[in-house]
Amino acid sequence: MIGNDIVDLKKAGLDSNWKRKGYLDKICTSDEQQLILQASEPAVMLWLIWSMKEAAYKIIHRKTGIRLYEPLKYICDDLLTDGIKASGKISYLEKKLYSQSEIKGPLLHSSVVSALPDFENLHLQYLRPVPDYNEVFNRLSAFYQLTRNRSGLPEMVHTITGQKHAVSVSHHGSYLAVIYSDSLLLAD
Amino acid sequence: MEKEALISAIKEIVSPYTEDKTTLENISEETDFITDLKVNSANLVDIVLDIEEKFGIEIDNDSMAKMLNVKAAMEIIEAKLAENDRK
Repeated sequence: MIGNDIVDLKKAGLDSNWKRKGYLDKICTSDEQQLILQASEPAVMLWLIWSMKEAAYKIIHRKTGIRLYEPLKYICDDLLTDGIKASGKISYLEKKLYSQSEIKGPLLHSSVVSALPDFENLHLQYLRPVPDYNEVFNRLSAFYQLTRNRSGLPEMVHTITGQKHAVSVSHHGSYLAVIYSDSLLLAD
Repeated sequence: MEKEALISAIKEIVSPYTEDKTTLENISEETDFITDLKVNSANLVDIVLDIEEKFGIEIDNDSMAKMLNVKAAMEIIEAKLAENDRK
């Protein structure tokens, strides 16, 4: 399974006051808080960690079908970043997940998978967050069609095989990102 | 606390975090903060903190995990207020 999360850093800066009392304690472990407070750009580090947790939540939620708001149970570690790319691990209970992120100006995006080799066949497409972004994607793509199922969840159908591939869509502020896999199917 | 009063207190707290003013006007126990009011998940923490401040309660992580809709928020507030009364 795959999950992604995009953050418009400009919008996040306007919408969230992460420095308010109690805020970090509710969403980040003490190790994560240390990483944030020691970073050269604390806000970017916070949203990086947050996007890892959110992308991981998407995988867990799709697996369990249960909605829970428990950011502290998604524990990020082994986080490496040069300010442009980042990689890390997320643990949720016994489950281990892996993340790769990129930071391009005010855009921050994280992809999370359940096994490292899954990154090899993963595609990332940024789109403008227009209402008909599905159609825009479908015009750009040769072999895949992006649709939504009855519950509103995205589906990626291969036009030749008809198989449903793993897909995740995230939208925030001025940005929208679609990730999908050549090798993983929806049920994987 | 009266049910109506509690819902209107929650409505006031949620207001700065939603752009969907029509849904906010029609808020009920069934309203979901994220799927109905389109509150960003990073702002759900603010709602939890605002509720803590307004009602003088502490919302533990297990309670926060369930706080996705108005009904759950009401149940948590009432349970925590009752706990405070016993102290």
